Amino acid sequence: MREKAIYILGLLGAIALVANMYNIFLVLPDEANQGAIYRIIFFHVPAAIIAFTFFFVALICSVAFLAFKTFKADAIAVAATEVGVMFATINLVTGSIWGRNIWGIWWTWDYRITSMFVCVLLYLGYLIMRPAITEPTQRATLAAVLSIFAFADVPIVWFSIRWWRTQHPGPVLETGGLPHNMAMALLYNFLALLAIGTALVLVRLRSEHVQREIESLRRLALVEA
Amino acid sequence: MVEARNFMFLFYGLTAAWLIVIGYIFYLVQRDRKLSKELGRLRNLVGDGERTER
Repeated sequence: MREKAIYILGLLGAIALVANMYNIFLVLPDEANQGAIYRIIFFHVPAAIIAFTFFFVALICSVAFLAFKTFKADAIAVAATEVGVMFATINLVTGSIWGRNIWGIWWTWDYRITSMFVCVLLYLGYLIMRPAITEPTQRATLAAVLSIFAFADVPIVWFSIRWWRTQHPGPVLETGGLPHNMAMALLYNFLALLAIGTALVLVRLRSEHVQREIESLRRLALVEA
Repeated sequence: MVEARNFMFLFYGLTAAWLIVIGYIFYLVQRDRKLSKELGRLRNLVGDGERTER
C-alpha cells in the first residue's frame, strides 16, 4: 500500500510539475521590474511553505510521541524533519541566488533570512543529535522535545516580514500583490512539490522502519551472544 | 544584456534547487541499500544463532 502511494504521489507530482513548467516558462509573461528572474518564486516560496508544513507534521508527531510513547509518531517526525530541512535549504539557496541578481548581494543578516537560517540549523541539530543517542526511548524523547523547541522559530520566520523592516520583500500572497495567473501557477507548483515531498517522506519512513528492525536485531544478537 | 544575466541567475537557481533534490534522493537510495545489506546480514546472524541453539 505504501509502495503504491509512493509511486502514485511521485508520478502525480512529476506530471504536474512538468505541465506547470510549460505554463511558468512559456505562457506567463516576465515581471515588469524583475524580468525573468522572478520565476524563482515558483520554487522559493513553495519550498518554504512545504518545509514549514513538514516541520508542523514533525511537531504534531513529537507531541504525540511524548503523550502516547508511540514510536510510529517518532518515525514520522524524523522523516518529515529530514525532508523539511531539504526544502528549507532549497528555499535559502534559491533566495540567495535571487537576492544576488536583484539586490546585488548573496546574503544579508536581516530578520527573515537569519531566522530561516536559524530554523535550518535547529532542525539540522535535531537530525545530527539522533544518531548520537543509542537508547531508542531516550532518543525519541529528546528528539521530540528538540522538535517542539525548534518549531518555535517557524512563526518568527513567517511573521518576521510583518514585525520588522527587512531587506526581504513584504508579504505578497496574503495581500493579493500577485496577479491571478501567477498566483495559480504558484499554487499548482506548491501542490506538485508537496506531492513529491510526501513521496520522499514515505520513502524515508520506510528506511526508518528498516533502521528500527536492524536495531532490534542487533539487541537480539547481543542477547544471544 | 540585463535580460541575459537574469536568465543566467534563473538557471543557477533552478539548477541548485534540482541538485539539492537529486542529491537527497541519491542519499536516500544509498542509505536504503546500506540498510538492506545490514538487515540481511543481521537476519542471517540471528537466524544462524537460533539454528545453533536448536
